[in-house]
Amino acid sequence: MRALLDPTRLTRYDGLALGVRRGMGTRPGDRRVPGRPQPSGIELEAHAAYTPGDDLRHLDWNALGRLDSLLVRRFTAEREVIAHILLDGSASLGAPAGDDKLGAACELAMALAYVALRSGEAVQLALLGDATGHAPLFRQRGNVTRIAEWLEARRAEGTFAFAAAIEGYVARHPSPGVALLISDFLVAPEEIERGVRALSERGYESHLLHVIGPAELDPTRAFTRAVLTDAETGERRPIALTDANLARYRAALDAHLDAIRAIADRHRATYGRLVAGAEVVSLLTGELARAGVIRRR
Amino acid sequence: MGVLNPAGALTLAAIAVLVALYLLDRRRRVVRVGALLLWASVPTAVLERRRFRPDPLFLLQLALLLALIAGYLRPYVEGRPLPASAGRLLVVLDVSASMQAVERDGSRFELAQRRARALLDELPGGDEAMLVTAAERPHVAQRWTTDRASLRARLEALAPLDTSTNLAPALELALGEARARPETRLAVLTDLAPGDGGIAPDDVQAFHWIQIGATDDNVGIVDLAVDQPPFQPAAAASVDVGVRNFSASARRTTVQAWIGGERWVQRDLTLAPRSTEHTLLGAPPHGGILSVGILGDDALAVDDRATGWIGPGAPLDLLLVTDSQDLAGAFGAIAAAVAGSRVEVVARDRYRPESLTGRRVALFDGIAPAALPPAVNALYVAPPPGNSFCPSTRAYEGAAVIDWEPAHPLLRGLESLDAIEVPHATALELAPWADPVVLAASRRAAFPLLLAGERDGRRIACLGTELAAPLTSSDALPLLMLTLGTLRWLAEPFEGGALAVQTGVPVSLGPGPTAPVTGPFGGAGLRIAGDPAVVVADHVGTYRLGPPGGERLILANLFDERESDIGRRGATETAATRVAPASPLPARARREIDWWMYAVGAALLGLEWLTWLRRRDRVSG
Repeated sequence: MRALLDPTRLTRYDGLALGVRRGMGTRPGDRRVPGRPQPSGIELEAHAAYTPGDDLRHLDWNALGRLDSLLVRRFTAEREVIAHILLDGSASLGAPAGDDKLGAACELAMALAYVALRSGEAVQLALLGDATGHAPLFRQRGNVTRIAEWLEARRAEGTFAFAAAIEGYVARHPSPGVALLISDFLVAPEEIERGVRALSERGYESHLLHVIGPAELDPTRAFTRAVLTDAETGERRPIALTDANLARYRAALDAHLDAIRAIADRHRATYGRLVAGAEVVSLLTGELARAGVIRRR
Repeated sequence: MGVLNPAGALTLAAIAVLVALYLLDRRRRVVRVGALLLWASVPTAVLERRRFRPDPLFLLQLALLLALIAGYLRPYVEGRPLPASAGRLLVVLDVSASMQAVERDGSRFELAQRRARALLDELPGGDEAMLVTAAERPHVAQRWTTDRASLRARLEALAPLDTSTNLAPALELALGEARARPETRLAVLTDLAPGDGGIAPDDVQAFHWIQIGATDDNVGIVDLAVDQPPFQPAAAASVDVGVRNFSASARRTTVQAWIGGERWVQRDLTLAPRSTEHTLLGAPPHGGILSVGILGDDALAVDDRATGWIGPGAPLDLLLVTDSQDLAGAFGAIAAAVAGSRVEVVARDRYRPESLTGRRVALFDGIAPAALPPAVNALYVAPPPGNSFCPSTRAYEGAAVIDWEPAHPLLRGLESLDAIEVPHATALELAPWADPVVLAASRRAAFPLLLAGERDGRRIACLGTELAAPLTSSDALPLLMLTLGTLRWLAEPFEGGALAVQTGVPVSLGPGPTAPVTGPFGGAGLRIAGDPAVVVADHVGTYRLGPPGGERLILANLFDERESDIGRRGATETAATRVAPASPLPARARREIDWWMYAVGAALLGLEWLTWLRRRDRVSG
């Protein structure tokens, strides 16, 4: 596991903020959400015809004098946005052992939590598939240490049903937000689609962040002849990496990656990929910044 | 054939380790993967324990291991037995400047030459001899030979140099020869005492040490410094001459100075025993080659003269192309303060190449014109990105100067640049024609801040920062001084400058002509080699490089108090008390081939790597 609370690494994320387009919460907060004017607020956004019961303090007297019509001011909504960082902690994140996908996933989660807290969002961390694996809701920037401790305590173990785990989570958190789903997505595309659909139906703004190991991209790094063991089910399969077999594996991998990206497109979600061992900041300031998930403050 | 390290055979056990590793790798491996989802389309294979069936990669690894073990055993082949030799003599002869000191019977070098001749004459016929000279560096004057006539001719052709003494490398060379060839006698002829040779006392005992010289009668010039303010005429220069009396009795002498061959000034000096006096000479009549000499008769003449250079001191004549009123005002103030100076300011959008007519130097602030008239030298300050003269890579904030080339003539007279802070800097791109004179660094990177060089027959300098106002404030003063130093370097004529060197010390020559050479010994006192050219002066004096009209000056001086301090306790001879330790095996009798084994190992490693790459490419398709 990498040292998550590394100041030199964390300071590289200063100046970044989450780019929130949907997923507005219900609780008042700092995030201004244009397009949903409300009766009170700070920033004037629109006018609306007066209807009995409107607060007379918001009646626009200038408009009444000039236009002889009763108009009330409407203001930009200011809501809290909760960044739900959903971390896949199943045993598959720990295999192949040399890839340290869980370490990369935790580092990515740490970076996103840091960015979210510094841009004034609340952060909810959860380990998928484990109903008790929830961290408290973090709202203060000073909680970075607690977040790091929580992440460093995670282990890649056990198994869970991907879609059911997400459906269970959104059922427990009906108020929408930004869902940052960090996983190796080594489940059937149908399962992934069910989970993403559950998020979008609840009004979550979803981002699928795929952590993939170098040995998954190029299995010749790990073996040429071996008995492969599924980290979660224990199922075994002897494989010899001949040219033909390698081509088959690559075709399957490409099809799987294309399927995940297609799911993301169908549900207006964002897809980003982090190769374990690569720099997280490159993903944040590159692919995710281009997709609008991360913006410069 | 045999081996020198039989115990190294124990390393053959490594072969068993290699085989074990190979078999282990062949075992049925279990690899955990995240999921078998992606492997569903891959057919299962039948994996079994395989018997030992080595592949080419294993065979290459085995060959590599065997080659390394063979090298470690230190094998050798028996060579042709060496012919029995009666003996050998290696003579080390000191040819440094102090050997020119004149004793009662001649110079120290002549005395040493005479003694060396006697040593060679005493050598029985058939014995080999070798001759090595020692000055700043050792030089093999004659390799091992039995040819007496050749040895004598080489000895007679030798002459002392005007350089410092560094005896140790020559003595080490002699000791190395003696170790390789048993029964070699070593003799050294020098004016240094055995303890001053720079080698271990035990090794000194291997030499027949012949020390020559007694007199301490020497007065010499030990320092010559010319101070000339920038853009000031030659008359504003001052010359500091340091003269030291190395003898144990008081001396009177006269310092005379000439400029360009014309006698300038003369001062009488009285020097206490072993003391130094400095005399300051001011208001020279004009610029040119400065020659300083001391009159009087002493034992060593080489340090009685020194040469320097007083520039013509052209005033500041500058075309300043800028839109900055502050910069224009600052240079206007400088022009007003320096008599005869002229600064013309042109706005960037009004600049035309014709503006440079009759000018020698231009300063372009934030602009880099595509073409310049011939013979115009230019300083580009904060050049815009994408220009062809001073291309830049990226901008940095909060930089500071961290390093510079103190020997570059551009920085002449600037003691230190470490106070320069550069809030906004541009990293300049290194170009083949330019030298990085000043380097700066920010928190992110170090980069060249000032480049200078000669291109298309003109001098160009590029400064990667803007000259922010107020330029004459104390904070900006070092940057202003750097800018003025650069302008002075740009303004001075090519042929006008001179390179001052110390004899025996290699100095980078920089761009410009390197031949023909005229000067002392017909120019042979100066050696030029390498690319970029490096120059070493063996004799003091004034040298001229290049064709007439475009000559460069090289001024070589000794300025070595240790060398000028010639006092010795008198001629002594100390016989060698032991023979230099010989190698355990005679070099030519047994020829070790362990390095050949290592070379074969390296080749096998490369071959193995290529094989592995090919296999990997084949597997990865």
